[in-house]
Amino acid sequence: MIWTALQAELRRELTQMLRYPTELLSEALVTGIIFYGIFLGSSYMAGGSILGSRLSEIIVGYALWTLMLGAIGNMGWGISMEAQNGTLEQVCVGPLSLRAIFALRSLANLLYDLLLTAMALLLIIVLTGHRIDFSLLEIVPFILGIAVSIGIGYLVASVTVLVKRSNQFLNLLQFLLLFLVMTPFTDLKGPLRFIAVIVPAGPQMGVLRHLAIGQSRFPGEAMWLLLAVVNALLWTFAGYVAYGRVHELARSRGSLGHY
Amino acid sequence: MLLEVDHVAKRYRKRDGGEVPAVRDVSFTLESGRILAFLGPNGAGKTTTIKMIAGLVRMDGGDVRIEGRSIKGSGRVAIGRLGAVLEGSRNLYWRLTPLENIEYFAGIRGVPRARARERGMRLLRLCGLEGKAGETVQHLSRGMQQLVAICSALVHEPRILLLDEPTLGLDLDAADRIQAQVARLAREEGVGIVLTTHQMDVAEHLSDEVVLLREGAVVLHGLTQEVTRRLGGDSYRFELEREPGQEQLARLTGRGALFDSPRSFRLLLREPRDFYAVLRDIEPIGVLGAGRDTADLATVFRHYVGNGADGEVQP
Ligand SMILES: Nc1ncnc2c1ncn2[C@@H]1O[C@H](COP(=O)(O)OP(=O)(O)OP(=O)(O)O)[C@@H](O)[C@H]1O
Ligand SMILES: [Mg+2]
Repeated sequence: MIWTALQAELRRELTQMLRYPTELLSEALVTGIIFYGIFLGSSYMAGGSILGSRLSEIIVGYALWTLMLGAIGNMGWGISMEAQNGTLEQVCVGPLSLRAIFALRSLANLLYDLLLTAMALLLIIVLTGHRIDFSLLEIVPFILGIAVSIGIGYLVASVTVLVKRSNQFLNLLQFLLLFLVMTPFTDLKGPLRFIAVIVPAGPQMGVLRHLAIGQSRFPGEAMWLLLAVVNALLWTFAGYVAYGRVHELARSRGSLGHY
Repeated sequence: MLLEVDHVAKRYRKRDGGEVPAVRDVSFTLESGRILAFLGPNGAGKTTTIKMIAGLVRMDGGDVRIEGRSIKGSGRVAIGRLGAVLEGSRNLYWRLTPLENIEYFAGIRGVPRARARERGMRLLRLCGLEGKAGETVQHLSRGMQQLVAICSALVHEPRILLLDEPTLGLDLDAADRIQAQVARLAREEGVGIVLTTHQMDVAEHLSDEVVLLREGAVVLHGLTQEVTRRLGGDSYRFELEREPGQEQLARLTGRGALFDSPRSFRLLLREPRDFYAVLRDIEPIGVLGAGRDTADLATVFRHYVGNGADGEVQP
């Protein structure tokens, strides 16, 4: 059942995307242009020398942020629209819980967002002839970062189901996340470092940052990787539990739909 | 028993701290292949009850069992046995075609794609929509959208179908098509159907049983035919020479009179001698005709719901 449901989500997402190719194209174009801007900017500032390193850090950070944006979009605006249209309640009536379906939706969306980002990146690389070296090691913290975005997706879904119209909140959240993802909290000293552990994807970004500057060995590497796992679990779990609570509250208030 | 609704109750808590007792105490059962019309005035608690059965609203008390299994707790299996089309006009993904919608709803309910397509095409054909299978839903008429929503709710072959105001806002032709499908589902496929409606002719035409709700409680429950026949003996029809005045009108509607034209009405009498009371009410207007009549569901409805028409059903 999970499998047919995941297929259904993937197919629905793809069909809706392809039905309006201009939207898809403009989205891909914006991502491409931003990546291109990052390339130009960094090669201008660095004069080409440390390009490979700083650059991939920025790109990885930006990629992670766009994935989180995707999660916000789908779990925020997407759900709020479906609540108004009535499809949310229709989806709810069936053998799978809404929470399970949301997990599948997050996965489906992540997959497409990843694909889109990868394609934009590839295009830039081909066009500019630049090379960026991603090490295989970067994949681990990146995936742990994606896990965080699923958790954030659930949290956004929780807020949306509770208040329905959450536009300002979502707008704000986008930039808050950009700030959190791009700030090197792991470089903080002393007890303040604790912030890096709990900030969404904090340790993940720390590890990525170090890997990107070419330090495949850095102080506390194992510890930060472990903390990245903890961080990923923490956010996913928090989102999952929060959504469960909110769903019951909405059922109790009779406000799953548009009342 | 296919569906057992067992003393369900629901109070909504309002933002200001007050409470709305939307459903006080509702019980009924439904067997396969039967159609139950769930009637009641605005705010009687019909939608709330439907949503409690579908697990969308949490009940405060009572229980709902589907094929003997409670929907409470790990009730997803039980809820998987039902399909529902809820109030509202847009229960579909507007950017998708009817078939894509059906496939999607099938998928999230565990139906493999090939079977979903096959069954989806069959359902669309039965609704006369096979020609529209490839158009996006947003370009279909309201009636067609409603039919597609029903098909989407049926694709996993549920044993129970809940329909909240399925013919609301549809023209006669579209409403007829929906009614035909509902009847077919019950008769040919043995689906048990609960539907709410404000259109008494729809309820009378389709339903085997009626449950009449008022202020969150059941005031009448019976076979549609029996309800109308039993009360038929007390049903009278009056035809007047001219239209009654404000005051007379108020008295008559207070008794549950249902006007089918400005100068003629039907009502149910509690006792035969109330006939003379009605005559006093309309005095001095001339009476062109007065006599017994067969009751229709609308008259029955008015009798139980009309303002204070019946002392027994006062809360
Ligand atoms: N989510 C909610 N929160 C608070 N009150 C609600 C909610 N949903 C319904 N109500 C109230 O509960 C009562 C019953 O509403 P319900 O929608 O069940 O009635 P209904 O019989 O379906 O009416 P209608 O014929 O108008 O559709 C009404 O007074 C309504 O205002
Ligand atoms: Mg209603």
